Amino acid sequence: MRDRDVLENNPQITCSALEAIHSQVFGWALSRCNFDHAVAEDLMQQAYVELLNGNARFDNKSSLKTFVFGVVQNLARSRFRRLASRLRLVRRYEHMPAEVSDDVTEPDTNNLIWAAVRRLPARQRDIVELVFCREMTIEEASLVMGVSVGTGRVHYDRAKKALQAHLQHHWESGQ
Amino acid sequence: MTKNETELNEAVTEAFPAAEGAPPFDRVWQAAEGRYRASRRRYRSIAAAAALAAVAVVVLNHQVLRQDDMRFLEVAELLEATSWVSPSDVLLPERQIDLYEDLPVLIESTEPAGGALL
Repeated sequence: MRDRDVLENNPQITCSALEAIHSQVFGWALSRCNFDHAVAEDLMQQAYVELLNGNARFDNKSSLKTFVFGVVQNLARSRFRRLASRLRLVRRYEHMPAEVSDDVTEPDTNNLIWAAVRRLPARQRDIVELVFCREMTIEEASLVMGVSVGTGRVHYDRAKKALQAHLQHHWESGQ
Repeated sequence: MTKNETELNEAVTEAFPAAEGAPPFDRVWQAAEGRYRASRRRYRSIAAAAALAAVAVVVLNHQVLRQDDMRFLEVAELLEATSWVSPSDVLLPERQIDLYEDLPVLIESTEPAGGALL
């Protein structure tokens, strides 16, 4: 099916290595686009295209997983920045309501902890997801997010404290 | 990680929605390869069109130059002639000098004009 395992414009990457982390990358892409499967798949295709044409070049400075997560993160960021600016433009001229309903199926928001995570600021939410759920170190997570390790630590610390406080409050009021 | 942190980690990991229904790698990869090939084809056609346009400009320019009545200075012709007309009336004003009619008068003139020789 695949002609060569090693990518022509990215000799440090093999298809089999990408296949090994495929589901993890999909999970990350999914959380980048509000759990919309179609958008996540498109995002993954885009990320693979970037690897194929060598625009995103892996040079073994980090793990492949960290690198591909970073590519997905950057693509998602630029994609939604573009979409947001278009939406602002449309709203300005069409007088659309600020809230646009979408058909995206949200995960179980009744889940207390997940709801608390969702309430965190974006950067804090990202680092919690990367460290807790994607099994990355704070250094790797910072690399994916494109922030310094110090900033990553601050986000992580604040997120942890916010989550602990929120859950503590809930447990106490529940008892 | 402290105990609290470990508990929090476990709780968040448990609560986090699993990435179910990941599309098969081969499907995504083939689609990505298709997009990559299509973009390369597009760039190749743009590059070919640009090269063709460049060749057309060069050929057209060359033909226009040949059609123009181009004249260059020829030393032998100049030495034999007593008059000279500038080859281009685009960059230079049209000017005709007759060595026997115009210049000798100026050179041999001894008439003062305003205190200076002409």
